[in-house]
Order: sequence, then structure tokens, then C-alpha cells
Amino acid sequence: MKQFKGIWFSLVFFGCVSCQDTIDKSLAPKATKFVFNKPLIKKEVTEKEKLSEYGFFKLPLANLDPTEQVVLYNLNTPLFSNYAFKKRFIYLPGDAKMRYKNSGIMEFENGSILIKNFYYPEDFRNPEQEKKILETRLLIKKNNQWKPLNYIWNEEQTEASLNYIGKVKLVNWIDKEGEKQTVSYSIPNLNQCKNCHARGKYVVPIGPTAAQWNKTYAMSLSNKNQLDYFHEKGILKELVEPNSRPKLPGWDNVLLPIANRAKAYLDSNCAHCHNAEGSAKNSGLYLSYNQNDSRKRGIFKPPIAAGKGSGDFIYDIVPGHPDQSILIYRMKSNDPSIRMPEIGRSIEHSEAVVLLEQYIEELAQNN
Amino acid sequence: MKKFIFVICALLVILVLCMSFEKEMPEYNPERNYVDLEDEILEAFILAKDSATIQLPEGHFLFSQSLSIDGKKHITVKGMGMDKTILSFKGQTNGAEGILVTNCSNFTIEDLTIEDAAGDNLKISESKNVIIRNIRSAWTGKVSTQNGAYGIYPVLTENLVIEDCVAIGASDAGIYVGQSQNVIIRNNKAFYNVAGIESENSIGVEIYKNDIYQNTGGLLIFNLPKLTLYGKGVKAHDNKVYDNNLENFGVKGSIVSGVPKGTGVIIMATQDVDFYNNTVQDHVTSNLSVVSYLVFAAEDDPEAAIDQSIQDRGIRAVEANFESDIEYNAYPGNVFIRENAFENKFSFPTLSNEYGWLMIFKNKMVIPDVVYDGILPDGAIIQDENHKICIGDNGDFNFVFMDAANDFEAFSNNLSPFICSLDL
Repeated sequence: MKQFKGIWFSLVFFGCVSCQDTIDKSLAPKATKFVFNKPLIKKEVTEKEKLSEYGFFKLPLANLDPTEQVVLYNLNTPLFSNYAFKKRFIYLPGDAKMRYKNSGIMEFENGSILIKNFYYPEDFRNPEQEKKILETRLLIKKNNQWKPLNYIWNEEQTEASLNYIGKVKLVNWIDKEGEKQTVSYSIPNLNQCKNCHARGKYVVPIGPTAAQWNKTYAMSLSNKNQLDYFHEKGILKELVEPNSRPKLPGWDNVLLPIANRAKAYLDSNCAHCHNAEGSAKNSGLYLSYNQNDSRKRGIFKPPIAAGKGSGDFIYDIVPGHPDQSILIYRMKSNDPSIRMPEIGRSIEHSEAVVLLEQYIEELAQNN
Repeated sequence: MKKFIFVICALLVILVLCMSFEKEMPEYNPERNYVDLEDEILEAFILAKDSATIQLPEGHFLFSQSLSIDGKKHITVKGMGMDKTILSFKGQTNGAEGILVTNCSNFTIEDLTIEDAAGDNLKISESKNVIIRNIRSAWTGKVSTQNGAYGIYPVLTENLVIEDCVAIGASDAGIYVGQSQNVIIRNNKAFYNVAGIESENSIGVEIYKNDIYQNTGGLLIFNLPKLTLYGKGVKAHDNKVYDNNLENFGVKGSIVSGVPKGTGVIIMATQDVDFYNNTVQDHVTSNLSVVSYLVFAAEDDPEAAIDQSIQDRGIRAVEANFESDIEYNAYPGNVFIRENAFENKFSFPTLSNEYGWLMIFKNKMVIPDVVYDGILPDGAIIQDENHKICIGDNGDFNFVFMDAANDFEAFSNNLSPFICSLDL
């Protein structure tokens, strides 16, 4: 029997001797623009064509100065998006309120809209000066389901228009060290929203959780907690006592332990896919902040389906050896087939890489 | 010992032969003048509401990314004919598939060509009531391992018809149905693929009036371990399966890379298969084989270490550890082969694989028409009720019982234990 199998296998390998390729099939040919005036489908656009139609912001629109029913919010540790700045708001219709949830996202009523603006200050040393807004992403709750929509800003920064198919834009800025930076910024198409925002078949928000909102409110003069601020404003009901609220550490808060900051960063940047129900569930790498199983966190865990993303390393995390850890390798890479996260990042987040390297170094000391 | 020396010598001869003859692979080079309507077509796919028809115009449209439809009902994607509406994904930079359809019901795609996707040309997953009609799937240029894996690829789908399609140049299977139920595959053509048409782990499949030629293996009816559904109940009739003698250009480590060239039909580890009224002819290895999964399983073989890139591309690899899957039956049973016409213009078995050599020494240099490997699980006996292989009237043909489990000891041409019939 064994011998028989051996024969079959020799066959498998010899069968392939003559199929080495010399041609490269990965080059794209040229195509000329095709003009076709008939619509391909019956289009019934019921969405607002312009961002200004929603009335979220006072004019001039580019100041992102919210109107009555629109409230600014911030997160403890946001997702990295090629160094873009983000301004987030909630729109609540009528006298709608949010219901507090200790875990998972807050409960929103139908008609609520989450608004996220992506922009680059011209000079990161003066972020409140001139800026360029690229896109405004909306998550609209309708019939108990969340629906994504995206608006792309014009060059004049006077208006943003509905876009379904995405776009690539070249962006320049001066970074905190005074260096000139540039990135090819990808605005996603509508189907790509699901890449990060999917829970099963449905689209869901990621940011508005108690742990992310549990921080000092940016617009308050008196160091008030954001959750308390919303509660006092009458838009957040069933808020629990301060000591029962979870809190995600700020990844850049140097007063906190390295491990907590690193785990918070992984939670916001990876765990939307890397959780037991997320799109990366088959990887077995689960990076939610509260994940305590060290193997699931990647420590001495071999990859399942990383392919060339493993960089020929054996484990996701090797304590004491960030240079041998797949996690660092993939955070540093900008190659689309290797990098993590897969979308939304095309340049390295070097400050975060430094943090994660420290975390992996420290893991060796703790053991 | 004698056998061992024979094996070594045979392998050396094969190696020399393989190296001295650079085999010329066929080419498919249609004339193309690419135009760009990517934004408009992408928008139509994204915005299509339930019950919409996406009517695509005539032209050779080039895309840099996949087109996808998710979670919609009653969508039709329609071209102006497979020679007129060409969707090419040559050199795509985003996504692996050409067209990807997920979680849809009552989905129809017809009258167009899909070409040169990085991965699969048309993948339809977790959908119901699907019609794929008059679609050509192709990879252009010289047939190559770099070609995408599957041409027309419905998986985890219920109630499915694939008809009047053409599949060319897939480095795995041209038309492939996996883990699906209630499937009809009819009036299609498949050539220049590693596997022409493949039904895998599917229940209730009828495959008829297809033309399958110039692939490495023609028609594969497979059942593999560790999947969500196990296949049974396959009828294949009125097909023409001929001249499938193409060099195997599958990705190393993939299941189909183990299919020897010159194989007409393989029925592997599947239950309740009725194979009748087909013409199977002109194959250098064998016209039809009924085998267990064990001939593919890579137990204890360090050389069978699997190239990681094949996992990236979602290609099915050999699963060495299949015995731990208790739901899985690795042996064929209730297979009925009747009223087929077997012929062969080749009179000498191929020297390119051990199987051919075996026939030279054991089968009087005749290429077999019907082969049964005879491998059974422990405790089972040939032709017990769970492992019945029945061979009816197929005219004049050569039958081989290999007895592969016992080192070919009882190798035989005796058909009589297998003359029986089944009610399928």
C-alpha cells in the first residue's frame, strides 16, 4: 500500500516537470475610455446627492461646525488611516436618544447617522490651520439596519458629492517633524465598507462603544467625561456608574503601561476582523482588548492561512523578538498581499510599530 | 526487491523523457481591443437593486478590480453574447475574482465572456436558484500554471444550472461545482483546463451532453474530506469525453495536480453514481477510473509538503489527515457504469506516469477503459453492499481490477464479480 502511494506521488511531481513558466501574465494591457450614454441599470437614486443637503454643518461647510442635532465625539484609540485626521459626529433625529451598552456598540434609534470626516491638515504642527477634507462617510440606521454612504469633497472644499465607486487621490502634508509627506489615498467603494464593518451579513458601526467613549470630552471646558456629557445633554440613557464602565486605554498615552496601549491599538486596528465572528475568524488570531488567551493573542501561535504574509517566520509573536514576529512584519509591510490591515493603510504607522515592538520585547521579560 | 528496481528505473526513464521533450502547450489568443467602462459597470454592480437587470453593451471591457454582488435577489447580468461582450480582468490590481456573487437568490448571468482574472473568473458562493448560461470563461495566451484556478465556480449553492458555457485554460477546473445541491451541468464545452468539468462534494448532480476534450483529466466526480457537504447522487450521461491528454499544469500540491494526463473520467470516493450512455475515448492513461481517496492522500510523505501559495489562492490541497474526519467516506460505492462507448486510438500506454508502466507490465500493454482500484476500508470486502461497483453492457472494452491495496497481487481483467446492476 505504502509503495503504491509512493508511486502516485512520484507521478504528481514528475507530472509537473514540463510546466515551468517564463511568461508573465500579470501585466495589464491598455484600454481607451469607452463612451456609453445609455444607463446600464435603471438607477433610482433616492440618496441625497450632496452632503450639504443633510444640514449637518453650518456654512461654510468645510469648517465642520455642527448644527443643533449633531454632536462631536472622540475615541480613546482610533483606527490608523494613513495619518488622516478624523472628525466624528452623531446625528440624532428629533428627540431620539442612544441607549448605553456596557459592551458592544451603543443602541441607536432608526434615523440616527454616524458621520466621519477624513482630512489632512496642510501642516501637522498646526492642525487647526488650513486643511484638506477628502471624504465624509456616513452610517445611516434605517429599518433597524445600518447602511453606508460616502461623499467625496471637491477641490474648492465647498461641497461633497455622493460616490459609490471609490477614488484614489494623491495627498501631501508636512508632518510633525516638518518633513514633507505624500500618500496615494484610497477612498473605498461602497462594497468595501463591509470589509471592516461586517458582522455576519450585516453592516455595523465599530467605534461608538462605552470603552472607546470613556474619556474626557474634547468640547467640554471642565474635563467632563464624554459619556457623562452625553448623558447630561439628554442624548444617552441608562448610563451606569463611572466605576462600572469599561475603558480602552489611549494607545498614545505615555502614562499608561506599554502592554495596555499595545492591546488597545490592536483592538482598534485589528479586532474588527480578528475576532471569533469577524472576517478573519479562520486565522485563529483574536485581538480584542479583553482577549486573555495568549495563544489567541498570537504568542507562539503559528499562522493558519497567512501564505506569503508570514514572511517565512514561524509565529505571530515571538516574545523578545519583534524582528521574528509575523505581526510586526505585516505592520511594517506596504505590499498589498502582505500588509495588515489589508485596506485603509498603504504607509507604515511607524509610531505604532515602535509601540508594538516594545510590547513584544517586554513579553519576554514578563515570562 | 525486483519491483523496487523496476520503479527506480522507470522513474529515471520518465525523468529523462520529461527533460528532453519540452512539451508545447496550446494557446488561446482571441483578438481584443480593450476599452474602459470600469466606473460605470462597477457602479451598476454596486447599485443594482433587487430585481434589476444589468444589461452590458458590446465591447471588450478591461477592469482593474473585481466586480461583486452581495445579498441581492432576482438580479440578472446580461451581455450581448459571448463573442460580443467581453469582461477582461487581465492584470487586475484589486481582488482575486473576476465576478464574485455571494448570498444572492435567483441570480442569472448570461451571454458574455469573462477572461483572465487573477483567481477565479466567476465565483458564486452561498447562493440559491442560480443560472449560468452561455458564458465563456477563458485565460488567454499560452496555457499556464499562472492562469487562475477555476473558470466557472459555484460553491455552497443550491438549485443551479450551468448550460451552454465554454471553459478554457483553468489551472484547476474549467467548470467546477463544489459543496452544492440540485445541480444541472449540460451542453457545455471544456478544453485546455487541468480538469475539464468537476463535480465535487455535491448532492443531486446531473451532468449531460457536455463536450470535454484536450484537458489533463476530462470529467472528475470527486468527494473530498473535511468539507461542509459530502457528495452523492451523481448522474452523468450523454457526454463526449475525449482526447484529454494535456500536460498537467496544475499548481503543485493541489488535488488536480495529482491527476495523470490522459485520464478521461475519474469517479473518486463518491456514492450513488450512475454513469451511462457516454462516449469516452482516446486517453493515454485510462478512459475511466473508479478510485478511493487513498490514491491521492499524502500520508507520511514529506515531499508532499504543500506550497503555501496554494492556500492563498483557495486551491484544494491534498488532506493527509482525512481519517480524522468521521463523516467522510473515502471509498466509492453504488457506482453503475453502463451503456457507454469506450474507444482508444492510442495503442500503447503513456510512459509519462507509473500507471502507464503498470499497464505495460500487467495489462499486456493495453490502455484500460475501466479501472477499479479495489482499495477498501479495513473489514470490508470487494462488492459488499457498501462498496458495490456494477458494470453493465458497455460493448467491447478492457476492464482492470488493480488490487492496489495489495501491491497489485490480484491484478485482473476478470469482469464477472462486477457484472450486476443497481437501481439509482
